Amino acid sequence: MFVIKSCRARGILKITIPFVVIPLIVLLSATVFKEKSYLLLSALIAVFSLLLFASGFEKKKTGSRRLVIVSAMTALCIVGRFIPFFKPITALTIITAIYLGGEAGFLVGALSALLSNFYFGQGPWTAFQMLAWGMIGLVAGYLSAPLKKSRALLLIYGVVSGVLFSFIMDLWSVMWYAGELNLTLYKAGLLTALPHTALYTVSNLVFLWFLARPFGEKLERIKVKYGV
Amino acid sequence: MRSFEDLNPIAVSVYFLLITVISMFTMDVFLILISFFGALTYFFSKNGLKNPKSHLFPLLLFAVTALINPFVSHNGATVLFVLNNNPITLESAIYGLAMAFMLTGVLYWFRLFSEIMTSDKLIYVFGALSPKIALLLSLSLRYAPYFAQQVRKVKAAQTALGLYKEDNIIDRVKGGMRIFSVMVTWVLENGIITADSMTARGYGIGRRSRFSIFSWKAWDVSLLALSGLLSIASVFLLRNNVFSFYPYFALPILNAKSISGYILYFLLSLLPTIIHAKEAAKWRFLQSKI
Repeated sequence: MFVIKSCRARGILKITIPFVVIPLIVLLSATVFKEKSYLLLSALIAVFSLLLFASGFEKKKTGSRRLVIVSAMTALCIVGRFIPFFKPITALTIITAIYLGGEAGFLVGALSALLSNFYFGQGPWTAFQMLAWGMIGLVAGYLSAPLKKSRALLLIYGVVSGVLFSFIMDLWSVMWYAGELNLTLYKAGLLTALPHTALYTVSNLVFLWFLARPFGEKLERIKVKYGV
Repeated sequence: MRSFEDLNPIAVSVYFLLITVISMFTMDVFLILISFFGALTYFFSKNGLKNPKSHLFPLLLFAVTALINPFVSHNGATVLFVLNNNPITLESAIYGLAMAFMLTGVLYWFRLFSEIMTSDKLIYVFGALSPKIALLLSLSLRYAPYFAQQVRKVKAAQTALGLYKEDNIIDRVKGGMRIFSVMVTWVLENGIITADSMTARGYGIGRRSRFSIFSWKAWDVSLLALSGLLSIASVFLLRNNVFSFYPYFALPILNAKSISGYILYFLLSLLPTIIHAKEAAKWRFLQSKI
């Protein structure tokens, strides 16, 4: 598989593509292109950035403990998605990212979106969910030092990522449906999704509140017990 | 020849990718209808009419998406009636209906994909991209039911100890969180033990390779080639075909080029059904002969 050699170039691409290139393309081409070609382009780029990440991961040497813990956290996310009303995926992704690094967070977010959608319904949204949850993890990994220090900041991050997640997913669905940015439809979509978004944000808060600190202690304990 | 779902998973995935991408991002009403028809024919020829309740959600989605557009978008010149000073137009109703067919059709394609892609096939497809991601996936896929089982055990133990109450929502959340916390500890320790066992058996020595029982036979290659050719040809033939919805709904002028494009896409969307039907007929025929 195609791999970009330089580590720094890969890091820059990993951040710029989802945050700069996709919104830019969607915004620019919404005015330039006709019909839905920009949506196809944005979907292609979402898939491409996921592939980019996968190729970087493939190239790197990963210790077995790290690998297994990432997959175990992914499985925990999938099981957690079956809890009625409270969805721990975002919280667990953030926590994993803080303690194990951005890459681990990206993988937990993206893979749990992919795998749990086999139970909850795959759709065109899968690639975007993977990217969105993955990015929440990746960014949390970069912010790990301040997030570890202050609980308030962690909770704010949880709320912001929860709200942004549903805003962006709604935006994409509206644009896909209407073929353009229809504001009335977007507002209607946000309004109907409001109870969902609120519940989602609250569950992020609850999980981060209860789990963030104990998770760190548990990891410390594991480090002492097994000498990681 | 094997049935469609038993063909090489990479070829099957490419087929699903092509058919859904074309029907997702087109505004061509005929293509949308063809894709919808193809998805439903394959779904019903594969699954029959069992489990009728599972069609409720797509039906609801169809109704909502078809109705939402005329009430939100007031473009279009033909006013059907006026509701609360808002004109409901024929054109936006047609657009909503087209989008409803598109969404529901794509939904059925994805349902078929989830049904066909069992975990071993998923790991095979990802293994072709990255053996390490495939390892991660296979570990997570094993862990998920294992953890679900452990959650039940922990819950039973907590209930027996009198620590888990369901009297009110705060108790329930607290109890749930305690179970989750127990699970995290258990998962981490279990993971470390698994990882040490993997290292002891030689994980990380040399390049990761992969094993699979799937191979490329004549039919797998032909499915890949056929779906690629049919989709490229139909997109090429229909590239200048433009439907206009607003201000007036207008069909494009049909000519030999566009009609052959539709026929090719029709063939593409019926490919799984044809393979499935052929296999089913063969099965019956051979059975009656013995």
